[in-house]
Amino acid sequence: MSAQPAPSRPGPDRRSSTVPKRTSILPKPSSIALDPSVLIAQHAQITGTHPITLGPNTVLHPHSRISSALAPVVLGEGVVVYERAKVGVGLGPDLDAESRRSSMRSSGGTIRSDGVVLGRNVVVEANAIVEAAEVGEGSVVEVGAVLGRGCVVGKYCTISPSSIVAPNTRLPDYTVVYGGSEHRLDKTLQLRPEILDAKMAVHRKQLEMFKKLVPNQVAKWTV
Amino acid sequence: MAQSFPYTYYACDCYDNNTSTSAKRASQILAEADEEDRTFDPRNPRSNYALYPLEHLLYCDDCQQIRCPRCVIEETLNWYCPSCLFEVPSSVVKSDGNRCTRNCFNCPVCISPMTVNSIENPDAPSATGGPYILACPYCHWSTIETGIEFEKHTGVHGQLARVANGGTPVPTPKEREKERERRKEFEARQRDSRNLLSPSQDSPTSDLHRDSALPSRDDVFSNLGAFYKSQIEAQTPSNPFSAHDLNFSSPSAYSRIMNLYSSAGAKKQKRGKPSPMREAASELEGLHVYDTVSDNAAIERIKRDGWGSTLSQTQKLAQIDPHANFEDELRPIATLLCTKRSKRCRSCRHILSKPESKITSTRYKIKVLALSHIPRLSIRALPNNAAPSTPSAPSTPAFSQQSFSYSNLRSGIPTHFLLQLSNPLFDNVRVTLATPSTTPGKIQTRVTILCPQFEVGANTDVWDDALSSSVPSATRSSAADGQIEAGKIWDRGRNWTSVVIEVVPGFLRPITGFGQADQADELDEDDDLLEIPIFVRLEFETEANAEERGLGDSRGSKGEKEQREAAFWTVVGAGRIAAM
Repeated sequence: MSAQPAPSRPGPDRRSSTVPKRTSILPKPSSIALDPSVLIAQHAQITGTHPITLGPNTVLHPHSRISSALAPVVLGEGVVVYERAKVGVGLGPDLDAESRRSSMRSSGGTIRSDGVVLGRNVVVEANAIVEAAEVGEGSVVEVGAVLGRGCVVGKYCTISPSSIVAPNTRLPDYTVVYGGSEHRLDKTLQLRPEILDAKMAVHRKQLEMFKKLVPNQVAKWTV
Repeated sequence: MAQSFPYTYYACDCYDNNTSTSAKRASQILAEADEEDRTFDPRNPRSNYALYPLEHLLYCDDCQQIRCPRCVIEETLNWYCPSCLFEVPSSVVKSDGNRCTRNCFNCPVCISPMTVNSIENPDAPSATGGPYILACPYCHWSTIETGIEFEKHTGVHGQLARVANGGTPVPTPKEREKERERRKEFEARQRDSRNLLSPSQDSPTSDLHRDSALPSRDDVFSNLGAFYKSQIEAQTPSNPFSAHDLNFSSPSAYSRIMNLYSSAGAKKQKRGKPSPMREAASELEGLHVYDTVSDNAAIERIKRDGWGSTLSQTQKLAQIDPHANFEDELRPIATLLCTKRSKRCRSCRHILSKPESKITSTRYKIKVLALSHIPRLSIRALPNNAAPSTPSAPSTPAFSQQSFSYSNLRSGIPTHFLLQLSNPLFDNVRVTLATPSTTPGKIQTRVTILCPQFEVGANTDVWDDALSSSVPSATRSSAADGQIEAGKIWDRGRNWTSVVIEVVPGFLRPITGFGQADQADELDEDDDLLEIPIFVRLEFETEANAEERGLGDSRGSKGEKEQREAAFWTVVGAGRIAAM
C-alpha cells in the first residue's frame, strides 16, 4: 500500500501510463463518488476497497493519499489535502504494518470501520496524517500533525504543526492544539465571527487559485 | 559529562592565578604550594569550573595563556532587538528598559513572536486600514481576547501602554495626580461631614465606594510613589539653590551615602538624624489593604471556568504584573533586547573577541581562539590486537572505531588508546606529556604513556609536506608494523603525532581476597568514569613578538628567534568502566 509502484520511472507522461498497472496492484476503491468540480492533481493516490466520496471543490494535491482500505472516507465541500498528507484509517505511522496485514485478512470487511469524515473547508497540510473519525468544518490540520484513530474534532479547530492527538480524543469547537499536547480555546474566532468569515473567504480564494494553477487529472478517476 | 566519549577538556588555571597572594592566609599559601605539586584531579569539585573543551576557550596573545569564560571580562557593545534587529542606544535602554519599544511582542501564552494583523471590515473600510490586533500565528491567541485593538499598525508598544485590558484607557501620570487630588478633597470633605453627622450613617456608603473601584497595580504604585515623594519633600529643607539636587534618589544623595560607608565610621559626623517617616496610611497614599473579596472572587472564578482559565507558572513569570492569575489579565510580552559583547582578558585587558557592531552581521572583528594557538589533544581507541597482518594504519582504526564501545571498558584488561597531538602553530613543537601512574579517585586505573616525549611538526602548507617528505612515514613510526613499542611514537603526519597510551582500567569493586573484608564502599555517580589527567608541556622556538622587539629595531632583529614554553593540564575522557 505504501510502496510506490515503479518508483524509478522517469517522465511524468510515462508515469501516467502506468496507471492501469497501479490499479491492478492496489485494491481499487469499489466506488468513488466524485463531484464534477473536484480537483485531483497528477500523483494523488486514491486507494482502498471501501467507498470514497469527494465533495464539490475538493482539492487533492500531488502525492496526497486517500485510503479506504479499512473504512470509507468522505471529504466534504472545499476540503484541501496537501502534498504527502494522508487521509484514511490505517495510514498512521506505527499501525501501518499491522493494519496492512489486517486489511489483507479482512477482505470481506469484517473489522469495525468507522470511516473518516472531513467536514466543509477542512485543510490537511503537508505530511499530516488524519485517521480521525470526524473533523469539523473549517478545521486546519497543520504540517506534520497526526490525528489518531477515532478522534472527533470540532469545528474551526487548529492542530498546530507536528502535534499528535491521541486516538479517540474529542476536541470541542475552536480548540487549538499546540506545544505538543496543550489545548486552548481560540476565543478570538469565537468572539469575532467576522474574522472567521474573512478566513473562509481566503480559503475560497485559495480554492479558485488552485483551480487555475494545478492541472486537473480527475479524468483518470472518473472512468 | 555531556560530551560523548572520547573527549578532551583543557584546564584553565585562572582561579589559582587570579587570587592574589596578599589576600591569602599563610595556611592557604601552604595548601596552594602543596597543590602545585599535586596532579590535577578531575574529580575535585572545583575542577568542574576549570575544565573546558578546546572550542570554548580563547587565547590571550599578551599573557600567552588560554582564557576560559571565567577569566574574560564581557563588555556590552550594543543592545538590539532580536525580533526586528534594530539597535537600541544604551541611553534609551537606561530610560525605557530592556524591552523593544517598537512593534515586537511575544505571545503571553506560547511565547512565539506575534504579528500585527488588520481586522478591517471589508464592507466599511477605514482610512488607516485598521483596527489592528496583535495575534499569535502559532497558538492563535490575540489581543481580542483581552479586548485590545490598535488604531495604527506602527508604534504598537506605545499604543498598548495607553490601553488597559478590556479597552479602557490607562490614565496618564498627570491625570492620575488630578484624580488623586480630587479624591483627597472628596475624602477630606467627607471626613468633615462625618464629624458633623453621625458616623454610623456614613460608613456603608464609603465602603461601597471602595469596593466598586479596586485600585489597579499601576494606581497603587503611582499613589505610593506620590506619597513617598511628598514625604521626602516634607523632610528635606527647601534649599533654593540646589532644591532638585537634594532629592533622596538624586546622584548626589547616592554619592553621599557611598561616602558614609567608605569612611567606615572613622569620624561620625554629628548630623541631625532624619526623623522617621510616616508609612502610607490610606489607599490614596498607596496602602494596599488585604481583602478577602478578591481571593473569594478568584476562587469563584476557578469554580466557574476551571483550571483552563488560569495561567501556568511560566506564563505568569513572563508577565510584568506578578499578580496576573487569569487568562484575561494577559498582556503581550514586549521582546527582550539582546546584547552583542566583546571579551577582554581579565589580567591584561587585551581584547580577545569582538563582534562586528552591525546588528545583522554575525561575523567577528577580532577573535583569538585557543584552537589556533594550543595543540589539539585527542584520544581514540586503538584496536586491541592490532594484528601485524593488517595492511595500513589509517583504515584499520576507522573500522574498529565503530565496534569499540567506550562506555564499556573492561576492568583489568590493558587497553590501548591513541593520543594524538595536532599542532596549529607554524613552528615545530617539542612535547612532554606527564600523567600520574594511577588515576585519582576511588577506582585506580593504571595509565602509561608509552612515548612521553616527542616532536610535532609545524603547521606548514599542505604542499610542503607532499613535496619535501621523501622519507615514507612507514619507517618513522611503529604504526606500520603494528607493534606497540615503548619510547616510540605510533604515527606522525605533517603537523600531528600520535603516541600510544596504555590503560588498565581499575576494578569497580575491590577484589575480596583472602582475609580481606568486603568493604562495601558505595560508588558515587560517575566514579566509573575513566578520566585521565595529562600534563602537557610544550617547547618551541618562535619569532619574537613585534611588541617585545619594539618598533624601532624591527628591521634589525628580523628572524630573531625566541624560546617559548607553555604548560597546561588536560583531562582526557577515555570512557566508562563496565560493571562486572
